[in-house]
Amino acid sequence: MAPFPTIHISCPCNDSISIAPSKSSASRKAPEHDDPEESDMTFDPGSARSNFSLFPLENLLYCEDCNQIRCPRCVHDEIVCYFCPNCLFEVPSSTVKTEGNRCTRNCFSCPICFASLSVTAADESSTSTSPYILLCPHCFWSSAEIGISFEKPTSITAQLAAKLKLPSLQPSSSSASSFSTPTESYFPASASSTTPTIASVETTLTPEEMYARLKTHYATQRAGSGTDEFGTSPGALSRLMGLYSSTLSGSKRTFGTSLGVGKQTAKQKPDWHEYEHVQPTHDESTLINKMRTVGFTGTTSSQQRIIQPHHPLFTSQLRPLAALLRTKRSKRCRACRHILVKPESKVTTTRFRIKLVAMNYIPALTISLLDPTSVSYHSLTPLNTHQFLLTVTNPLFDPINVTLATPQRTPGRFPTEVTILCPDFEVGANTDVWDEALASAGATSGAPTGVQGSQGKSRRTGKKTGNTGTVWDAGRNWTTVVIEIVPPLIPVEGGDSDAEGEKKITELDRIVQIPVCVRVEYETELEREDSLSALSGREQKEKREHTYWSVLGLGRIGKFGGVKSSEGSDTLGSMDSMPTRPMGRPSSYSVNKPSAGPGLGVDAFGASGMGAAAAVAAAVRGGRKA
Amino acid sequence: MPPKQIKGEYIETDTGNKVSRKSVILGSQNIILGGKTIIQADCTIRGDLRRTVAPGQQSGNVAIAVGRYCFLSRSSVLRPPGKTHRGLYSYYPMKIGDHVFVGEGTVVEAALIGSYVHIGKDCGKFTIIKDCVRIEEGTVIAPNTVIPSFSVVAGRPGVVVDELPETAVEGLELKNIYRTI
Repeated sequence: MAPFPTIHISCPCNDSISIAPSKSSASRKAPEHDDPEESDMTFDPGSARSNFSLFPLENLLYCEDCNQIRCPRCVHDEIVCYFCPNCLFEVPSSTVKTEGNRCTRNCFSCPICFASLSVTAADESSTSTSPYILLCPHCFWSSAEIGISFEKPTSITAQLAAKLKLPSLQPSSSSASSFSTPTESYFPASASSTTPTIASVETTLTPEEMYARLKTHYATQRAGSGTDEFGTSPGALSRLMGLYSSTLSGSKRTFGTSLGVGKQTAKQKPDWHEYEHVQPTHDESTLINKMRTVGFTGTTSSQQRIIQPHHPLFTSQLRPLAALLRTKRSKRCRACRHILVKPESKVTTTRFRIKLVAMNYIPALTISLLDPTSVSYHSLTPLNTHQFLLTVTNPLFDPINVTLATPQRTPGRFPTEVTILCPDFEVGANTDVWDEALASAGATSGAPTGVQGSQGKSRRTGKKTGNTGTVWDAGRNWTTVVIEIVPPLIPVEGGDSDAEGEKKITELDRIVQIPVCVRVEYETELEREDSLSALSGREQKEKREHTYWSVLGLGRIGKFGGVKSSEGSDTLGSMDSMPTRPMGRPSSYSVNKPSAGPGLGVDAFGASGMGAAAAVAAAVRGGRKA
Repeated sequence: MPPKQIKGEYIETDTGNKVSRKSVILGSQNIILGGKTIIQADCTIRGDLRRTVAPGQQSGNVAIAVGRYCFLSRSSVLRPPGKTHRGLYSYYPMKIGDHVFVGEGTVVEAALIGSYVHIGKDCGKFTIIKDCVRIEEGTVIAPNTVIPSFSVVAGRPGVVVDELPETAVEGLELKNIYRTI
């Protein structure tokens, strides 16, 4: 189970939400009804699409030119270098092209448990000139089990390839190195017989042989076209000519053993078809017999089988796996092609030349229960008011003005009521630590640097009152506000009390996920070295704003003590059947609503039989009274 | 030695290391702590298991070197790796970088651990763990394994299951933990 609380941030590359709701659209949201446009405005964490757009802050990048968050889905990856994760050697990309993306040194992983194998002497006691084996230090599988040992402890890959090469293939591959009789080398059957039946030949070939033939075929083709990649070499030209006129014989360099070269080679090249996925099972009885003898332990698990290129059925057919290479990648913004992340090309360093991560640009949110001892994150009491502390931390060097907006009721079948007690506040700049110390040590009357009261009201730091409109606590570059939630009552599973009737209650319904729209406004100095600003000689400030949706996973709704399921479903049914309420109404415009204390909220809802709307009205009335 | 909080749980050294009074530290002359490292209760550090050297050879006298801002949780064990080489069983020095978190009950026998490493549980002999690695809880890493940077390792035996984002350094920093203790 995922630990709570979780905080994810939605990347605006998701199409289902508007990119950045401007100030005017946010204010417009309040009086409207629940129309499709408005449902666009509220981010629904439960929708299927939002699964792909929510990321933890650490995984997000930030494009300075677009002023936008970039998630792993909206960046381009470019490979900086390849390296082996085991020996940490860099592999040049040309080698990757020719040899494949596996380590060509001594790096292998165990085919049974996938731990990395080590080269050890087969016999510990004897000194040198003993055969070497690949041994798994975890499960003690060794290459001796499949009858492979090595003469020397170096260049295992080459030795292994030589050992695994089928004896039938060796003569043909050895002759393939010479291009004197290429047709013969990669297709001996055609050379011997005038009417070769390709299908009959192919069935006799093992996949490895087929691959070797194809490889030789293409190697010859490449050799024919010369080293020039653009096909301007004389060899390529003559080959092209030979394609069209059969009277022109190809050059001696290419495969011009006879006329009509192109036709012949096209025929000799094996057809495309899927290798190995369906193995011919003419002899199932032998397979069954073998399974009977080796037993369950002798057969491979699906994981072991899939990872091997030849999908072996028995552990005796397993081969050590050469280590797959890993890459270091740089990342580009998809929209403006600017580089967002560029690691240093050296394999072992962890430094970055360019690293534009969202962590350094957008304020970080952290949330915790106000009173951690009262209730567990995994069993929030339904219909009870829970208070959470939401801390906004500013990574920027300018003080920011944060506006939090959240729907009063979360989207979903069982809406949770949310109230942010202080949705509009300031967060100080991420200045030097010493500034704070100096400020606190200095003038006691003045506010700390960068922490100015917003809209004339003075900032009350460290008061820790749960009053509406005041922040809970604030520090140098962070501010904490209180969020109150009232989780809904979810009817007991199994009963037919669900108002919808057909849908079952899923685990997702039990998790309280609150979408919060965070709008950040700040003034920053212009970065561009304009001649204008230089002439004017004063600091030019630029107003910037940034808006993003985040989803706070606050916990899981537990069971509600004294309420019977039937009673709960009554309340719920009335909730579902009540007229549509404005969903996207941000709580920033309901600041005046007094906070319902824990007891009050329960009381209002406890009067079941009243509609939810009436209950809310009662809560408001009760609050006014208080 | 302790300048303040004489009766506290931790003994603080001049370089800011906080060592629990209930930890077991053997061969402390062979252990180097880089500073600001926290060693919690019931930890065992086997500095006595150092290299057995042939007579006449220069012996390195450091068994365990730990960097700055490391955090050894309760009942974790640091133990230099040992193996038989040419008929002689010997221990090899263990080096741990900065900002290394060792989880509760973990036995570490790695040869080298880079900086910014988070270890949930067990770790095999002669393992080399590079910088910025997260090892999930309950992982057993096979001996002689090399774990490259920016990896998430899980399973028995531990295999790389995921990559860490670019912000791994910030996420794995342990300065804040030091402040809380």
